Amino acid sequence: MARIFVIDDDRAWEDYYRRVLRDFELDFFHDGVAAIAEMDERRPDLIVLDILLIGPTGFAVLNEMRSYSELADVPAIIVSSVEIRDEIAAQYGVVAALDKSTMTPRGLQKVVDGALKNAA
Amino acid sequence: MESEVIDVNSGALVVAHELKAPLSLVRQLALSLELESGNPDGVQRVGEQIVATSERALRQVNDLLKVARLDDALFELEPVNPRAICDDVVNELWQLFKFNRRELRIDYRNRRYLVVANRQLLHSVVYNFCLNAMNYGGEELPSEVSVTDRRDGKIRVAVRDYGPAVPTRIWREIKRGFVEKPVEIAMRPGSSGMGLYIASRFAQYMQADFGLIRHRDGTSFYIDLPVSRQLSFI
Repeated sequence: MARIFVIDDDRAWEDYYRRVLRDFELDFFHDGVAAIAEMDERRPDLIVLDILLIGPTGFAVLNEMRSYSELADVPAIIVSSVEIRDEIAAQYGVVAALDKSTMTPRGLQKVVDGALKNAA
Repeated sequence: MESEVIDVNSGALVVAHELKAPLSLVRQLALSLELESGNPDGVQRVGEQIVATSERALRQVNDLLKVARLDDALFELEPVNPRAICDDVVNELWQLFKFNRRELRIDYRNRRYLVVANRQLLHSVVYNFCLNAMNYGGEELPSEVSVTDRRDGKIRVAVRDYGPAVPTRIWREIKRGFVEKPVEIAMRPGSSGMGLYIASRFAQYMQADFGLIRHRDGTSFYIDLPVSRQLSFI
């Protein structure tokens, strides 16, 4: 079963992710520092992260992650209330940037499935 | 002609951001109901979360409407029991705290029981303090609602969290006893800049003192209210 790290400081979304991504092993982190620390121990197959986090932003987390050779190729999906332009998403090497206000659960499942399939 | 510059800290932008967060979640939860077909417990849980999240957003909108009507002096001051107000808020919010994996505790130590306040406005102040604590409380740590007597003859209603320190610019603004406009804290949706703005306006209307105490491991937001003389007739 693929392991996904979900980084979102809004705990209210945790239940939502648990139900929508129920076919995967999920680990939740409420800040980027904790997530990066855990990545040192266990490499995730995919990262789903918000951008506006308490502490370092999601972009800082992506930069940090990409700076480690063993984590550089972990696919990442941004799920945020902030609109992220495609060129910005591309700069950080993310598979997709989804808007929390317009995405759908099925859409999220599809993007996650696609990212994991491409990474395999 | 002077060029117009968009102020990223404008009150309207912060309000829009803060209301977008619960609305987005409500939409996602409603859409995800189809994943729960054949699971009545799951449907019930999602339904409860939709109600709790939308009630929070509605309350914030109602509070903003009240702020706009403060000048009309529609909110009378009367003797109010702050413990009863805090109980109401805790009862109203416990489920939202649960969905956010948080705990809300109460600690009442006051020996004088009535303050001069407006029931609705004081409820909103405590409610917004609690939302602030929910957003910023530390991992696995409770938030505490307290009511205590002050030496200056007032009663303090406070909400303490164990979260990260309040940014200095917010601290300065609150130290003045007034938040001029909604300001975003830590640049994140769901932040309590709007809640603190609302609380400060309502405190000012009730002629109460509004402030915060920075602890080494968190923050207490408080409102100090005058004791009601009605007590002497009891």
